[in-house]
Amino acid sequence: MSLLRLENVTKRFGGLVAVDRVSLTINEGERVGIVGPNGSGKTTLFNLINGVYIPDEGRVIFNGQDITRLPPYKRAPLGVGRTFQIPRPFASATVRENVAVGAMFGTMGGQLSVDQCLDMADRYIKLMGLEAHSEKPAGSLTPVEKKLMEIARALAMKPRLLLMDEAMAGMHPKDIDKMVQLIKDVSDKENIAVVAMVEHIMRAVVGLVERVVVLHQGSKLVDSATKEALEDPKVVEVYLGHPPEE
Amino acid sequence: MRKQSAKYSPFIPVLTIYVLIFLIGKGVSGMWQVMAMLTFYCALGQAFNIFLGMTGYVDFGYVAFMGVGTYGMALTITHLAERGITGPAVIVLGMLLALLFPTLLSMAVGAVALRLRGAYFAIATIGVNEGFRYLIEGAKIWNGSEGIIFMSELNRVLGREAASSLSTFWSDVFLFVIATLAALVTLYFMRTRIGYALTALREDEDAAKVMGINVTKYKIMAFITSACFAGLVGAASWALKTPYVFPPEVFEIHYTIEAIIIVLLGGAGTLLGPVIGGLIYGLSKYYLSIFLPGFQLLIFAPIIIIIIVAFPEGIMGMVKEKAKGSSLARFIV
Repeated sequence: MSLLRLENVTKRFGGLVAVDRVSLTINEGERVGIVGPNGSGKTTLFNLINGVYIPDEGRVIFNGQDITRLPPYKRAPLGVGRTFQIPRPFASATVRENVAVGAMFGTMGGQLSVDQCLDMADRYIKLMGLEAHSEKPAGSLTPVEKKLMEIARALAMKPRLLLMDEAMAGMHPKDIDKMVQLIKDVSDKENIAVVAMVEHIMRAVVGLVERVVVLHQGSKLVDSATKEALEDPKVVEVYLGHPPEE
Repeated sequence: MRKQSAKYSPFIPVLTIYVLIFLIGKGVSGMWQVMAMLTFYCALGQAFNIFLGMTGYVDFGYVAFMGVGTYGMALTITHLAERGITGPAVIVLGMLLALLFPTLLSMAVGAVALRLRGAYFAIATIGVNEGFRYLIEGAKIWNGSEGIIFMSELNRVLGREAASSLSTFWSDVFLFVIATLAALVTLYFMRTRIGYALTALREDEDAAKVMGINVTKYKIMAFITSACFAGLVGAASWALKTPYVFPPEVFEIHYTIEAIIIVLLGGAGTLLGPVIGGLIYGLSKYYLSIFLPGFQLLIFAPIIIIIIVAFPEGIMGMVKEKAKGSSLARFIV
């Protein structure tokens, strides 16, 4: 069943069309990669899905509900979780408090006490291997640890859809493989659809996602199974330019 | 599961300090006024900390809430005395009006100014304070620039003796109660999702929104709460202590600056910070004005600069960091 549906969504900034009539369906529990070179509209697309931007045209349907004009803080409790390309921790708060905020205001938010949220935070901190940093201010973590913390924070929201913005950039290839496996497991176990935005790290794309959507200059270029998408001549051209003449 | 009571153990040091101040004031002759002044600064800091410390927004118009609180008390006493209504209930009604006025004003200001961020918010709030004062003076609201003098009305309401003990003793006791309540509310915020939401929006408002936090709601909540306590402080320490109110005195930006210094000195967003800040500020102001009259600001300014540079998180921010992992940690937030 479809969880998220974008219908002809367009977003303009002045004369620039950042996202151009994109239609896209994400099914429950599905893992999809959004690929595209710098400036292809990936981040704008994310911001349209989680409500940072309101589209100029088109509709955003989440779980059967039209959320096109809903502010971000109302989308999170419905199950839209997100990590940022450049991590945005609540710097002075501890890692544990950061992750607990996810639990408190996510889909389970209304039903959990503060203590239950802190316990939930501990679970996801452990899952991400951050136990040793639990009581440190989030601002003092390394960039990679901050990314892990953001994933823990987003997972603690118990989302139905997890938007990951370049979550594995800057990680060691070995860690990427580990991360990919971890996210796959959580996504399967908790039935979370994952939309991973990737610019460079193809290793993450191939391992994690079942389907790839390639964006180019704001519009959808390709939408197919991972292997076909990455071998598509149009995609190769977008990334590497024209193939050399014989 | 942690015990519910243990979560409130950081309240113990705050309460201990207030009780000590009270006992010194009561027991040592000639110290009551000094201790009352310290309590005023602690209460002011504690009230302001709920907004400045927890949200990170600087409100330069904060004193306006004290001002309208003072007016709330003054108007209640004068109007009820005219109608022949007397007794301590008048003071209680005055306190209620001293809560209502700042609530209304903070809702009006918040609806407009809290849409602005950082420096823009700060500048807008300076305008609010000055604007409100000139509105009262210019439009001759509440007696305009002549203010309200209600000594005789207060005497009529409570009787001469009770009125006098109110201004010399009970108004200060109210301040102790207000300061304690403000500390309790701060701790309650910290221990519930309100505090987590405020911390999140203080650190990164946009990320907080994406995490599902209705930032406007929580900002206004902190703003109104903080304003209400300011109104009570104004009513208790200004209206009841000195039964008159003049616009230039109760809308004096100087008090906002003092509140900011106290909060930053002690540690913004900490529970004990405003108490420590209030004590240091109050004591040094008092003794510098005795030993080096006229020089207090000249000496005080560099001391503040040094403390702020050495401990950017405030004194309690530094203590909190040091206490981490020790047995003291559970008393400090």
